[in-house]
Amino acid sequence: MIEVLSSAALATVQDLGRTGSLRWGVGTSGAMDNLALAAGNLLLGNALGAAAIEVPVFPFKVRFGEDCAFALTGADCAARLDDQPLLPWWVHQARAGQMLTLGLPQGGAQRGSRAMLCLAGGVDVPEVLGSRSTQLRGAFGGHEGRALRRGDVLRAAGAGIGCKSGFGLVPPALMLPLQQDGVAAVRVLPAAEYLAFEPVSRAAFWAGEWKITSQSDRYGYRLEGEALRPIAPMELRSHGIVPGVIQVPHSGQPIVQMRDAQPSGGYPKFGTVIEADMWRLGQAPIGSRVRFIETTWDEALAALDEVRAWLDKVARMVELHRGAPAAGR
Amino acid sequence: MQDIALQTSRFAAWLGDTDIGLFELRTPQGTLRLGRQGDDIVELPAEVAEAETASVSVHAPSVGMFLHNHPLAAAPLVRIGERVDAGQTIGLLKIGPLLLPVTASQAGIVDGFHAADGLAVGYGAPLVDLPPL
Amino acid sequence: MIAQRPSISLLGTTALIFEAPGEMNLTSQQRIWALAHETQAWPEIREAVPGMNNLMLTFLRPPRGLGALAALEARLRDAWDAAVARPREGRVVELPVVYGGAGGPHMADVVAHTGLSVEQIVELHSAPLYPVYALGSHPGYCYLGGMDARLATPRRKVPVLSIPGGAVSIGGAQTGVSASAGPSGWNTIGSTSMCFFDPAKDPPAALQPGDMIRFRVEGIVR
Repeated sequence: MIEVLSSAALATVQDLGRTGSLRWGVGTSGAMDNLALAAGNLLLGNALGAAAIEVPVFPFKVRFGEDCAFALTGADCAARLDDQPLLPWWVHQARAGQMLTLGLPQGGAQRGSRAMLCLAGGVDVPEVLGSRSTQLRGAFGGHEGRALRRGDVLRAAGAGIGCKSGFGLVPPALMLPLQQDGVAAVRVLPAAEYLAFEPVSRAAFWAGEWKITSQSDRYGYRLEGEALRPIAPMELRSHGIVPGVIQVPHSGQPIVQMRDAQPSGGYPKFGTVIEADMWRLGQAPIGSRVRFIETTWDEALAALDEVRAWLDKVARMVELHRGAPAAGR
Repeated sequence: MQDIALQTSRFAAWLGDTDIGLFELRTPQGTLRLGRQGDDIVELPAEVAEAETASVSVHAPSVGMFLHNHPLAAAPLVRIGERVDAGQTIGLLKIGPLLLPVTASQAGIVDGFHAADGLAVGYGAPLVDLPPL
Repeated sequence: MIAQRPSISLLGTTALIFEAPGEMNLTSQQRIWALAHETQAWPEIREAVPGMNNLMLTFLRPPRGLGALAALEARLRDAWDAAVARPREGRVVELPVVYGGAGGPHMADVVAHTGLSVEQIVELHSAPLYPVYALGSHPGYCYLGGMDARLATPRRKVPVLSIPGGAVSIGGAQTGVSASAGPSGWNTIGSTSMCFFDPAKDPPAALQPGDMIRFRVEGIVR
């Protein structure tokens, strides 16, 4: 088990998301960087979608109450186990009593914004409506339906069980880079109201650098840039939306719906960030800038294939290594 | 070596379809060694017996690409002249997306890098010179 | 502008939206329910989620290639053409509402936009039996049809950061009740109390498409 030592950290328990309950008004939630979650689980030999702790605010400290293997993926945050510096994107072994500290994300312009702390066997919280993700609006799921607080104790389903540790992965940001003119980029498919915006606005959307303002969180990223103007005012009927949908309210400043997005909305939809690139946006820090690349249906599916292929390769290589007898020295 | 040279491309193609990391074929005519570098199969140089350096070198635990730094770090894991402890990670071996640690077999002072950063190495290749204390 | 043909659009590779043509009405919504029931069984579809005279289909397996996507869209149009409006046997749930006051902070904005008095707004809002068209927005939240068009007030330019659960609001031509505290761009005119969602129950939502809500005037605070 681990004890949370940090307060006001906004850390939540997340898995790959809660599907099948949109019809009840329950959004999917889930890890902002689903690739980091999956990779951390693969390093530990966990099920791909086992629950983990998503850490968006640093420093973050926990103490291990028992021996437990863990993996740290996502943002490289100069982590230490007691006073030992840890390699990022790596699986480690903690002993009972040791303290894990995540510091500030490093890497300058390339730094991430969210770390995933994966535990052997996954974080052991009850499944609600088929998922262990935290449903913040509905106050259920994850750990008591809320962000973690100092004193919270979480169980690891595989604590104490032997787990191969001491190896890691090249982060996907390095193996699957995506930039436009030196700026982090994500691909977008135009949405229903795209053509209802002024041509000048449409051009500005693709050409501009969009700043992720401080009013950005798991519900949505509020972007700052050239205001997007509709050709005529629009009042839409409420309709389903998904994470990635880029809405444009009256102000003209777009909002990208993120993992805790409501399952429905009524603002005009300019475009949708493709599912294959949501992990990139999930790691973009507040204050950073992002570019949007117009893409096609086929390219978006190819991007999904590329991500799945990376995960498959990771799974194969990790299993080969985990199954290999210990090398003689 | 003639027969083996003709067979090299066939062996390489076969190897590429497997997950095998190192292929070594020894014959009276010579030795053929094939290993992986990223997604490609490359011919590796023949290993010269280095009995003198064996005791002061840290050797590759696997075939792969030897890295001095973690891919996310600007600085190398160790520098020449630095004292390291037994078991300390002093380099990395990259095999596709996987990173394996290269660890010091005993405490010592890093004397030099036998393999350059980014070099494809075979199993047992000397990587870092680490004379014992 | 009212569309004459259904429109289909994409939400990335995650989902598509089907918009029914014509003015928003209950008969169209009943056809949407029928369409949802049929498409939920299609192998490409993870979940069929009704909205207000529209339907979102999330993909389990996105169609590979534009040809397959076009074929799916054609099947969807055919299924709509064949969809029959079947009224549902729903329950009637009565919610006591205190209109205006601290629980209805935007009543004045609705008065200003509609030109109606508080009393007229309360009377027009509490008179109808509102069918539940769909659930969405947040757990247990019901989108209602049947609001008197005279009450229509556009969504707020700046959404409010937090409106409590039980807030009775008007957004555009629609009305609804918040099931939990959260941000809202709608105009809140009153408040009620009711447990709309319990994840331990099956189904977890207290109300379903086909049920009806009546707002009972508990009081008017000026």
